[in-house]
Amino acid sequence: MTVRQALNVIDESPASAPTPAPASAPAIELSHAARWYGNVVAVNDVSFTLGAGVTGLLGPNGAGKTTLLHMLAGFLAPSAGQVLVLGRSPHRDPSVYRQIGLVPEREAVYPFLTGLDYVRFNARLQGMRNADEAARRTIALVCMDDSMDRAIGTYSKGMRQRIKVAGSLVHDPQVLLLDEPFNGMDPRNRIAMMDLLGTLADQGRTILFSSHILEEVERVGTEILVMVSGRLAASGDFRAIRTLMTDRPHSITVRSSDDRRLATTLMADPAVFAVELTHAGLSVQTAQLSAFRRLLAGASRAAGVRLLEVVPADESLESVFDYLVRR
Amino acid sequence: MNPMAAIPEIMRVTFRQLLGRRRTLLLVLLAMLPVALAIAFRLGGQTDVERFSRRIFDTVSMTILLPLVAILFGSGAFGAEIDDGTVVYLLAKPVPRWMVIAAKAVSAAAMAILLTGAATALAGWIDLVPAGNDGLLATEAQVLAMVVGSACYVSLFLALSLFTRRALVIGIGYMLVWEGALSFMLPGIANLSIRQYALGASAAIYQLPVQEARLSADTAFILSGVLVVAALAVATWKLMRFELPGGSD
Repeated sequence: MTVRQALNVIDESPASAPTPAPASAPAIELSHAARWYGNVVAVNDVSFTLGAGVTGLLGPNGAGKTTLLHMLAGFLAPSAGQVLVLGRSPHRDPSVYRQIGLVPEREAVYPFLTGLDYVRFNARLQGMRNADEAARRTIALVCMDDSMDRAIGTYSKGMRQRIKVAGSLVHDPQVLLLDEPFNGMDPRNRIAMMDLLGTLADQGRTILFSSHILEEVERVGTEILVMVSGRLAASGDFRAIRTLMTDRPHSITVRSSDDRRLATTLMADPAVFAVELTHAGLSVQTAQLSAFRRLLAGASRAAGVRLLEVVPADESLESVFDYLVRR
Repeated sequence: MNPMAAIPEIMRVTFRQLLGRRRTLLLVLLAMLPVALAIAFRLGGQTDVERFSRRIFDTVSMTILLPLVAILFGSGAFGAEIDDGTVVYLLAKPVPRWMVIAAKAVSAAAMAILLTGAATALAGWIDLVPAGNDGLLATEAQVLAMVVGSACYVSLFLALSLFTRRALVIGIGYMLVWEGALSFMLPGIANLSIRQYALGASAAIYQLPVQEARLSADTAFILSGVLVVAALAVATWKLMRFELPGGSD
């Protein structure tokens, strides 16, 4: 059964069909939301709205992604501002979980239950009459059929992630919140899970997942929210933000057989706006990374210089995020 | 959709959580202590109600077995789930919080009653029932004390486990200091002692010849009921306000 076929089966079940939010109302709405713990501000004045589709919540560790997801899931009250899911506050309102699926970051799942028991447990707590059937169908979606009768305690980290996703999907929620869902998955399952999220979003669901890995977000999320130090640093279409990230000023260290001669050649090109000779080699500043890559190869050949090493000096995700915040 | 269907499901998982631990095996061994003593008494020909009630029921079952078993099950019904984060799978569901508390409390109390009640009944059957009608009534009264005591200890320490991770330590402190020492020295504490509620309730069936039973059966039942309802109400209140930490991200 393909993902699409399996999802169509879910959609045919009237008991579990999602109730889409009115077209005009966003499924998720944050308005100046903040959350602090004593003097520590975890989320600071964040506002955005999300409709159907997959949105990636990107940010380095400690950016406030989990706090934000816990607020959306109703497990944390905002210290200020407003958090609405499907038009109402999720805090202290268990009935909202009929329409929300949550995959928490923490790995622990009842180790004594089998995969099938666990997903069926979720279905029964959702009050589903056809809990067994729904559980088996959802397990098939995450390709865990072969292992569903094994105790979760024997699962690998990736398998636990997939069974957690199945548990959160079994009642076919309108809004799906996933905290680092691809952690521990092997590449094949990661791609299958990404495809599954894409298919669910195509059917009108709102999916928000957090990650600190750019490539994960790039593959799944068309929309992106970038959080840094509790603030929303950027939001919008992934490609636009990706371009922003790529075309930011980059610092690159180049070592060659003759740094001084290479510096002279590079300085003549408009893609380079600063070159400095250091004890480690040439420190080159450019705002056009792709153009610089092409330039460097040609310039070294023209100058008769052999390149020994080219190292990006500020390529960590944190530095990318810092740049976005400073803009 | 039937929200009440959640109760047996939560109970099933709670039973598995509580039974799956090594400490349950230790508690079963502990429960064997009054039975072993009853066998020893029987072999030694000491099978009168008074001697049994004082030396086995009061000293072992009431003072050690009941509080230890019930506090462990009560504080463990939620404790591990909160520590490892699995409680989120329970709470991210459209299940009223009172229902979650009720299911957890009934599961933990049932386990405690089963263990302490069975051990007490078996010990009584070995030593007291052969002694005649008084022995049978004394055994029934002792089992009732286990039922009332289990319900009270479980409710109180289940509620406490939602406020602190040290519920078990506090429980053992309560058992040793409050009930073990202070209640002997300060008779007024009887109104605030689960041990006294359990002993008092047993008088509804038979006046056990134990030294410091200070409450009448009616008072004991009323105070036990108040304690159970209040503890579960506070637990529900706390669970409605349960918050997950923000995490490292």
